[in-house]
This record gives sequence, structure tokens and C-alpha cells, in this order.
Amino acid sequence: MTAQAQSISRKQTLGSSGLLSWIMTVDHKRIGILYLVSAFIFFIIGGLEALLMRIQLAKPDNTFLGADTYNQVFTMHGTTMIFLVVMPLAAGFGNYLVPLLIGARDMAFPKLNALSYWTYLFGGIFMYSSFVYGGAPNDGWFSYAPLTEKMYSPTHGMDFWVMGILLLGLATTIGSINFIVTIIQLRAPGMSLTKLPLFVWTTFVTSFLAVFSLPSLTTAILLLLLDRQLGAHFYNTAQGGSALLWQHLFWFFGHPEVYILILPAMGIVSMVIPVFSSKPLFGYAAIVFSTIAIGFLGFTVWAHHMFATGMPTVSLLFFSADSFLIGVPTGVKIFAWLGTMWRGKLRFMSPMLFAIGFVALFLIGGLDGIHLAVVPVDWQITDSYYVVAHIHYVLFGGAIFGIFSGIYFWFPKMTGRILNEALGKWHFWIMFIGMNLVFMPMHVLGLEGMPRRIYTYGPGRGWEIWNYVETIGAFLIATSILIFIVNFFITILKAPQNDPDPWDGFTLEWTTSSPPPDYNFAEIPSVRSRRPLWDNKHPDLADWKKEEA
Amino acid sequence: MLRKLVVLAGATFLLSACQPSPSFLNPASSISGHVADLYNTILIMALVVFVLVEGALVLILIRDRHKEGDKLPHQLHGNTNLEIIWTVIPILLVIALFVMTVQTVNAIAAPSPKQGDLNLRVVGHRWWWEFDYTDLGIATANELHIPVGTPVQIALESVDVIHSFWVPQLSGKTDVVPNQHNTMWLESDQIGEFLGQCAEFCGTEHALMRFKVIVESQADFDAWVANQQKPAYQPQTEDEQAAYKELTGTCAACHSLDPSEIDTTKVGPNLAHLFSRSTFAGGSFDLNEENLRSWLKDTQSMKPGNDMEITIPQQQFDSIVEYLMKLK
Repeated sequence: MTAQAQSISRKQTLGSSGLLSWIMTVDHKRIGILYLVSAFIFFIIGGLEALLMRIQLAKPDNTFLGADTYNQVFTMHGTTMIFLVVMPLAAGFGNYLVPLLIGARDMAFPKLNALSYWTYLFGGIFMYSSFVYGGAPNDGWFSYAPLTEKMYSPTHGMDFWVMGILLLGLATTIGSINFIVTIIQLRAPGMSLTKLPLFVWTTFVTSFLAVFSLPSLTTAILLLLLDRQLGAHFYNTAQGGSALLWQHLFWFFGHPEVYILILPAMGIVSMVIPVFSSKPLFGYAAIVFSTIAIGFLGFTVWAHHMFATGMPTVSLLFFSADSFLIGVPTGVKIFAWLGTMWRGKLRFMSPMLFAIGFVALFLIGGLDGIHLAVVPVDWQITDSYYVVAHIHYVLFGGAIFGIFSGIYFWFPKMTGRILNEALGKWHFWIMFIGMNLVFMPMHVLGLEGMPRRIYTYGPGRGWEIWNYVETIGAFLIATSILIFIVNFFITILKAPQNDPDPWDGFTLEWTTSSPPPDYNFAEIPSVRSRRPLWDNKHPDLADWKKEEA
Repeated sequence: MLRKLVVLAGATFLLSACQPSPSFLNPASSISGHVADLYNTILIMALVVFVLVEGALVLILIRDRHKEGDKLPHQLHGNTNLEIIWTVIPILLVIALFVMTVQTVNAIAAPSPKQGDLNLRVVGHRWWWEFDYTDLGIATANELHIPVGTPVQIALESVDVIHSFWVPQLSGKTDVVPNQHNTMWLESDQIGEFLGQCAEFCGTEHALMRFKVIVESQADFDAWVANQQKPAYQPQTEDEQAAYKELTGTCAACHSLDPSEIDTTKVGPNLAHLFSRSTFAGGSFDLNEENLRSWLKDTQSMKPGNDMEITIPQQQFDSIVEYLMKLK
């Protein structure tokens, strides 16, 4: 074999198919798919952990899980869903879509992109390996000090948590810088920032949030590591350390983190709703500015997680007022989505159903969240099941519904195959009903005085019936996810249709083949409006005429 | 009118279970009363928004469904006036919410300490509550007695990790933070027993860190105090002597039999008047002979992870149980 032939055959193995080609890839689309698949596997693991918790809590004084196991399971459920599922799912969509949406051939730094993915994967596997090395982390996803100190958490669980989070934070930082540079540098000719598709905007803002908030988390966990491994006293209250230092450092990251989780889903929904309404997004500028506003405000509200820690009244009221303000840009978005659907021609296909589900459920998460910003009410409901209800309306009703909307929407682009519609509708309705059965009663339980993170409760407080209903709902959600998995395999085993534009889409990704070639676009498109493909299809109604007028 | 209806519906809903609700929406103090009013007001505002927005959504979904042969809809890109309206209305709403928040924060703020207040220290331990009546020289655990209608000024301390003190019907939470002196206050206007529980995850047995507040008339409270101030029951028989020796010997490393010994470094609760309480082990089990026996046989199977790891010699077991049961 000549050297040349050798190099060609090597290129083919690395470049086209086979396991090795996926391991060696630096193609943004493959990295995006790797992110999505890995995160979905973690989603199943995190979901099984949720089921274990719901079985344990189905009846009072249950002994299905012991205290220690339950505490590991709830910690890993939260940590998994936030760091190993929702963030990487958004990163997966970002990787796959951002270059396609801005008319680029790849991300700015393809190798960094691969580094980011593999760091994430190993961070996740590393954290889970703690189960076989003496016990998983067990202090909750926000791991309050000084409970995390060695004297109270003597297993290696917290060390795995610290190192795992460090790796995941590194992956996110690398990925975020890559997104920022890609979006600034690689846009197609004519695609000014005012023409960016909404998902690109939310990825852009999310990346800044990650880059500016993660250092605070990194600091927090490194100090904890010094405490645990080298006997420092940052949080060790027995030696004069500060318990609240952790909380300030953690929530300065933790609150922007909430928007890191929800903004990409908002971006997805803002792409899906216009297509299935056959209308442009209503109030593009308002949505973009509200996204940026949420980004800024998100950095000023962290202490609303700490209302009960004994803060002075002035600080309480400052953080309360700021938290209320976030309601305004959030409201703007919801109205804009309604305005987009208003007098549209709505096609209720699976992506649209999940997007509508997002709007309906996210609204509830916004309205019950208002109660948590009201300081005296927060003193009652914080750290109760009410908060668990709220975060799940935002992160399950919001982020996960938005992500499923995106999966159904872009699956044909990624694979050339449309997911089965009937199964998609079953998935949606069972998940929608199950979701409300699990999380709506949690409001009642919180109001009825049930604290979060308890592995058991006694009978006679009126908590039994709601806990039982929630467990039924959890199994409904699990059923719906099973339906999705079946749908995935049925679809992927069929011959592809390779329809480049199955939904009558608006943006650049639908102008190239499904799945797109390695180089995305044979010719770099030039852009005149926010809906370039719409303009091609309807030259007389083209957006650029309005936008340039 | 609407407000009354919603409150009524909410109350019926919450009270539908046969026992009285432990919720702050069933308040037993002016603090929780104010907060319940505020909660209900905001709930009504939220419900109005909910009905309007979800109603609009459903209307749109029904009316604007795509039908075969439909023409393209009007390509509307936005409407500045509308967008200003739906920015300004929420701003006005949140200003109203903020004003209500400030009013309620002021209404429930702790009154300045005065003569006649009851001063208490609540100490969080993993996983039980120590209640020190510093002025009265008594220490007890897991059951907090207070007189009705008297302001109670509470200092909160933790000997280990963060806990949170929460009796929904009397007041919201205040965290019990090690190395930090937090305070709160209570004043119940209703005689009764109110359930509380630690609300900040504090490790293995966080779920079994419960307590109750017993609000009683001044006379009942005084009688309770008088009893708690008495020394512990002195041993009479030989068996009791032996038990007493053990309890003031080995057990004294963690437990005190002196009701006036207020010592937060003790790992376990003061036992001087153990059987004046109705629960034990962080308010988790009814205090009776049967439970006490199984507890002393194997504390770890009843509450895994707790600090009490003991084996009581067989010949002393019965006498210790019997002596403990006399500590009323």
C-alpha cells in the first residue's frame, strides 16, 4: 500500500463511520450528537433516581431506601439533571445548530469543542464512579457547608463531587468561549446580530452567563477541597470558618445557572412556535432584550436563595425587589409567544405540542416563583416541597419540554428521519399529565409543611395522599419516556427520507441536506433577514423588505 | 368577594384531611396570620394572571388551528404599543407586590425585647432540638413549651451544621447557622400543639429531626416550669440505685440528669424529666416503654446514623428502663 493510499484509508475510517470516527471527530454536528446522546443516557439515570425517591416516599414510614441511600440518590438526581443533563443537552443543540443557523462550516475551535465534550463525559463518569468507591455525594446539589466538611461527610462522595463539578465547569467554560467566538466571528455575510435566530441569541447570552458565573463556583469548590484535603478552615465553623461564605459563592453561580438551564430552551421554543404558526416571531427585539435583561438581572438576585439565613432587612428587600423585576422580561417572552401564535395557522405536530407545553407549564413556574420572592412568604415555603414544585415547573415543564420540542424539531435534520407523530403525541400527553400529577401536589405539600430532602415522614399530617399521587405521576412520566425511546429506535431503524425541510422551516439549517454534509453548506449563504428561507419561498412577502424599510 | 371565595376553597381543600392542617394557612399566631393573608392575596393575583394567559392560549389553540386550504396568515412582526403595555402592566404589578412585601415584613418584625418576654435558646444538634430556658434555668428537648399570648424571644444556635427552625402555624423558618447568632420571635394566640421540623438538610437523619411546640395557658406553663425545675427523681430501691449509677456514670458523657445543667456540648438531651415528654429521638417516636426498650436495645436500627451507640448490660437493662420511666 502506498503512503498515499494508507492516508486515504485512514482518513476514511476516521472521517466517516465506525466507533473510532466518533471518538476522533471534531465535527460540530457529531460532537453535538455525542452531547445529546450522552446527556440523554444521564437523563435516564437521573430519572431512575427520581423513581427510587418516589417509591420511597409513596407511603409514610417506608423502608424501601434507607436514609443514607436516599440522601445519595437525591443528591445525584439534582446534580445529574442540572450538570449532566440539561446543560449538556443545551450544549448538544448549541454545537449542532449554531454553525448551521449562522451559516458557518463549523465552530470556531473544533478541537476545543471535542475537548469540551470529552471533559464533560469523563466528569460525569468520574462522579458516578463514586458509587463503587465508598459512596456517592450525599449533601444535596448545592451541598451546603459545613455539612460538606470532612467531619460531617467522611466518605469520598464529596471529593468526587468537587472534582466532578470542576471537570464539568471546565467543559462548560471551554464550550462557552467557543460559542461566543463562533457567534461573533463566523456569521454568514449579512447576518448582523439583529438577524440572529433566537436560539443563537440565547446560546450567546447563556455562554456569557456561564463564563462569568462559573469562576464563583470554582472558587467555592476549591476552597472546600482545601478544607477537606488540607485542613483549611474556610467553611469549617468549628474552627471559626463561615457557613454563609459557601452560600454566597455558590448562589452567585447558582442563580445565573438557572438561566443557563432555561434560556436555551426558550431559544428552542422561540424557533419552533413561529414555524408551526407560519408567522414570524412576534416582537423579536423585545425577546432579545428580555433575554439580555434576564442575563444581567440573573447576577443580582443570588441571595433570594438565602432569605432565611438571617440577613438584615435592607438586604432582604433589595434582593426581593430585584427578584420581582425578573418577572417582567419573563412576562414579555410569554406574551411574545402568544402573540406569535395569535391568528397564525397552527400545526399541532410534536415539536409544537412540546413548545406549547413549555409555555403553559413555564407560566406556572413563573407564577409560583413570584411567591418565593415575597420575603415573608418565602420564610414559610423555602426549603419545603413548594420549592421542589417550583424548580420542576421551570426545569422540567420548562427546560425539558423545550428540549423535547427541539429533539422532535431537529431530529429530521440530524438523521434524515421524522419521529413517529402518533407516538410523539402519546409521549407528549402522558408526560404532560404525569408532570402535573407529580409536581402540582408538591405545592400543597410545601404549604402543608413538608420539608424537602426528607427520606421519610410520619402518617397523620395529611401528606400521604399527595405523595401517593406524585408517585403515580412519576411512573406516567417514565412511561412517556419509554414511548420516546421506542419511537427513537423505530425511527432510526427505518430508511431515511432525507427531506431537507420537512416542517416548512424559516432558517438556514433547512436549506442544506438532512443530515447536512461535513461542510454544512456547499456555498456560504448570504443573509438579508431573520427568516432567509422564508424569503426564498415567499419573495413577494420577504422579511427583508420590511426589515430594511 | 373573589378573595373570600378562594380563601374558602383553599381552606376547604387543605382541611379536607381529618386532622387539623399543620400549614401556615391554618395560622395560630399573628405572624403566620399576616403571612397567610399575603400568600392568599398573591395567590389570587397569580390565579387571575394564570386564567387570563392560559385562557388566551387555549383560545388561540382552538381558534387558530390550521385548516386545509388556509391562506398564509398575516405576517405580523410585532406591535410596539402592545409590547409596551405588556411590559408596563407587570412592572406595576411587581411594584404592588413589593409594597405588600415591605408592609408584611414590618408587620411581623420582632418587637423590641421587654420585661415579661420569655427568652429562649434553641440549639440545633444532629438530629434533635435542645430548648434552653436560660432565665428559668431549665433545659429540655424536642418539645417546646410556651405560654399563650406571651412574646417569645429566641436565640438560635447550632453546635454542628446548618439547621432551620420551622413551626409553620407559628412562624416561618429561620436558619440555625453555626458560628452565627440568629434570632427570631414567636407569639401564639392559640392553645394547642403545633408540629415543627428541621427544614435545612443536615445529614443522614434530617427527616427525623422533628419537634413540637406546646402552647399552654400561663398556669399550665408555670406548673410545667415548676416540675422541670425540680431535681430528677432520686433512686429509692437497690435497682434504681444501680440504674442511677449507670446514668450518672457512663451515660453522663452525653446526657445530664441535672435539669439545671444547660450545656450545649452534651451530645444527647437532658434526661432529668424525660418522661414528662411524649416523644423522643428528635420527636420521631412516641415515648413509651415498648419504644424505649427497642431504642435501648438497638438505637441504630430505629434511627440509623445517630450518635448513640451503646450496649447496655443485660442485668441492668430492666432497671434502667424502669428508672427512666420514673423521670417525670
